[in-house]
Amino acid sequence: MTQLFMLDVPENTPIVAVADQDPHVTVDKVGPYFRIAADASIVIDRRATGCRHAVWYSSVAGLLRSRITQWDKDAMRIEPT
Amino acid sequence: MSQLPHTVRGVDHVAFPTFDPAGTVAFYRDVLGFPVVHSICAAGWGPEEHPDFIHFFFDIGNNDRLAFFYYFGYEPPQRGVKGDVYARFEDDIPDFFVKSRHLAIHVDSDTDLLEYRRRLDNSQWPVELQVQHETIESIYTHDPNGYFVEITRALRPVTPQEDLDANLTADALVDVVKGPDVSMAALLTRKAELIVERAADWEPAQR
Amino acid sequence: MALQRIGLVVPSSNVTVETELPALLRRHPSADFSFHSTRMRMHTVSTAQLAAMNTQRERCIMEIADASPDVILYACLVAVMVGGPGEHGRVESAVAEQLATGGSPALIRSSAGALVEALRAIYADRIAIVTPYLRPLAEQVVGYLESEDLKVADWRALEVADNAEVGYIPGERVLEAARSLDLTGVDALVISACVQMPSLALVEAAEEEFGIPVVSAATAGAYSILRSLNLPVAIPDAGSLLRADTVSVPA
Repeated sequence: MTQLFMLDVPENTPIVAVADQDPHVTVDKVGPYFRIAADASIVIDRRATGCRHAVWYSSVAGLLRSRITQWDKDAMRIEPT
Repeated sequence: MSQLPHTVRGVDHVAFPTFDPAGTVAFYRDVLGFPVVHSICAAGWGPEEHPDFIHFFFDIGNNDRLAFFYYFGYEPPQRGVKGDVYARFEDDIPDFFVKSRHLAIHVDSDTDLLEYRRRLDNSQWPVELQVQHETIESIYTHDPNGYFVEITRALRPVTPQEDLDANLTADALVDVVKGPDVSMAALLTRKAELIVERAADWEPAQR
Repeated sequence: MALQRIGLVVPSSNVTVETELPALLRRHPSADFSFHSTRMRMHTVSTAQLAAMNTQRERCIMEIADASPDVILYACLVAVMVGGPGEHGRVESAVAEQLATGGSPALIRSSAGALVEALRAIYADRIAIVTPYLRPLAEQVVGYLESEDLKVADWRALEVADNAEVGYIPGERVLEAARSLDLTGVDALVISACVQMPSLALVEAAEEEFGIPVVSAATAGAYSILRSLNLPVAIPDAGSLLRADTVSVPA
């Protein structure tokens, strides 16, 4: 299972909201962190989030049993390891 | 997290050498308006060969001070092709590293940031870069000694969860550098483990 | 025992410090001293000249520290006191910082600080003082000592403005002024609250005559120097202050 953590601060909530739109993705909270999980890969389109680069590239707080295979100005792609 | 009493009071002074005291005073006192608050005139009386020197201090707010040493009759050969007067580097050292060490000075508001921008732009040392990071906005320039100086304002107050996050990052980093795989991926994995271990209990403690 | 080097920062017209301090410390039973001075230009003991004198402090410390003294005595008593309460602490701190930043291990003491230190060492709360100054300056000295929690019960100002002249004030005149003081309930007499007015020859006899401890700026300076160097305070014939560590031999 792919798990990605993001801190619950105002800059990150648009990213979490876009991730949550995918029906295969579940989002819950672990303390002040959003846990974004899926059985398979998670893809988040950057432009859909409206995020600036600085926010985008520092948004990931933790990864469990996953690795980032794409993280650029277009999208973030997390695959299960 | 540390339980020790925390009674230090910020920066008494951060000190750098200069070979251009006139330029340094012009930049910090006359352009930026940082008052000169202290000076020491001394010889080197210790066991090592040591020139006479002046140690002078600018106030940078909050009673914190930025200090410079000017040594009479001493100027080392400037090696390397980039850097400041203290740290010089050859061409093979990448710019990200050369620019890593810097002093960032805090202002409270956009108005203040714009005012310091205006002062620099009206001087020999205009703002080289203005950047918005995730929670801060900053202006950057190099002082007459080549020291990289940032003036920054917070776009929003730091939240308590960011303090937790910072501590988890620090703990994860310390663990990862001791292990076999020292990489960002390893750090994010270790941090996720710490999140699972500690974050759920954090919220109840904050209520 | 190693020779102790004493640095002296004196007003330029001062001759008494360089006379009385060596005379005192020469009497030390076990330690030997050498004296090295640096001068701050000053002729008239006026507020304006004293302020100008203080700006020479950095140069003087630079010069004297080159001689690697063990301790430096900043022997400009009234110049410090006109700076207001707490000034000797501020001056000593600034000098200590200058020495430390340049890596000098020399200690710093001041005549003003030494006077306070000596009076506290003999538990004197009520004192009387003789000064050579004009009245306004003498009042500043009184005010400074009172800001250090000393009660100045009575005082005299001999009103000699020229500092060179102060160095010639005869002992008789100083003693006469001391005798005119009301010493009721006084714990100690400061027979010379000035580093230029000579008084060394008077101290022991005055202590016998008045029956209370008698100190001077010079004896206080010697006391402070000895304490700073952890040397026994055992100087004969200069008052009980300087016999603090002398072991009495029963008659």
